[in-house]
Amino acid sequence: MNTELRAWRPWLGLAVRLGLAVVWLWAGWSKVGDLAASGRAVHAYQVMPYDVAMVIGAALPFVELALGLLLLLGLATRLTAGVSAALLLVFVAGIVSAWSRGLTIDCGCFGVGGELPAGENPSYLPEILRDIGFLALAGFLLIWPRTAVSADGALTGEPVEDDNE
Amino acid sequence: MSSRKGRKDAARVVREQLARERRRKRTLWISLGAVLVLIVAGLIGWSVWSSQGSDEFTPPPGANETGTGIVVGSGPVTVDIYEDYICPACRQFEQTSGATIEQLITDGKVRVVYHPVAYLDRYSSTEYSTRASAASGCAAEGDTFAEFSKALFERQPPEGGAGLSDDELIDIGVEAGLDRDAFGSCVRDGKYRPWTEHVTAEASRANVSGTPTVLVDGEQVREWTPENITAAVEAAGR
Repeated sequence: MNTELRAWRPWLGLAVRLGLAVVWLWAGWSKVGDLAASGRAVHAYQVMPYDVAMVIGAALPFVELALGLLLLLGLATRLTAGVSAALLLVFVAGIVSAWSRGLTIDCGCFGVGGELPAGENPSYLPEILRDIGFLALAGFLLIWPRTAVSADGALTGEPVEDDNE
Repeated sequence: MSSRKGRKDAARVVREQLARERRRKRTLWISLGAVLVLIVAGLIGWSVWSSQGSDEFTPPPGANETGTGIVVGSGPVTVDIYEDYICPACRQFEQTSGATIEQLITDGKVRVVYHPVAYLDRYSSTEYSTRASAASGCAAEGDTFAEFSKALFERQPPEGGAGLSDDELIDIGVEAGLDRDAFGSCVRDGKYRPWTEHVTAEASRANVSGTPTVLVDGEQVREWTPENITAAVEAAGR
């Protein structure tokens, strides 16, 4: 049973890695076309000065795309998973804080964000749950970074079993 | 210890150690490379962003002092209205409260500052929000902002499409009484695009995160019914 699981884990890991890659590529792609809107979405959380928010909003889509590409290739998987987890934690913290302050904003996770039409209620809970799901993907890769068909594998050779633990 | 097997074992251990060392080094370099990729990606975003915006803008005539909106009316109470020309809720706002606001203006009770923000450029394939807002600046140049603005909401295109074309915007302007040549070239040249950018940025800076946003004397009227707006104006005027 245990050895069977071990044999399957790199393939499960591949699925997880590609899943998280798609999440980042999608998130980055949906924002990269309108960097000003991305900055406004960050500023809508009202946690940092306008100019800082605009810079972070402009940098974020590109970082997300880079994370997606690295995961797609399976390059530096553990590090990429760690950065992903850290970013997701920041996002969750941001949504929780917006919620607790009674702001009515869209999380801006995929796409424009910030502006929410009047009369439309923010969907904070689903957004948080979704991010926690993504966090689980990142956590898996953080614990078991060695996945099938990865640049890591091609570049560093076969793993020694205890190398990852 | 000096047996043949012992020496073999020792050699294997050393080999494995070297291999592990090599792998560790490679992993380190790969990690450094990945960190570099992420940092460079962020810097690219920053530089793309800072090369996009133009800081120079000319507000159209009729704008307020800070150039963040067009002033209509001259009453004692200031009402700030933030709208995006493609936002359906803004159209709804115009339908329910537009007449009340007009009345308050003609009664000399309020000075309305319209902030035509371009928050929703992504909701059309042609940046309609920006084009419409810039065109409203052109209309302000021809002293026809209020009429043009009203007509734009009446003819609001649906979200997710191409929006109205420049030609259609010009036709609407002409119907509102603007000069076809002057207004037309102003719209086509995108003369007030930098101004629209300024209006939008300043609205966001002022923590306006949605449209429509209505402020009476700086206080937000969350449920913008005619009654609530009139009540807020009465309260502020007292």
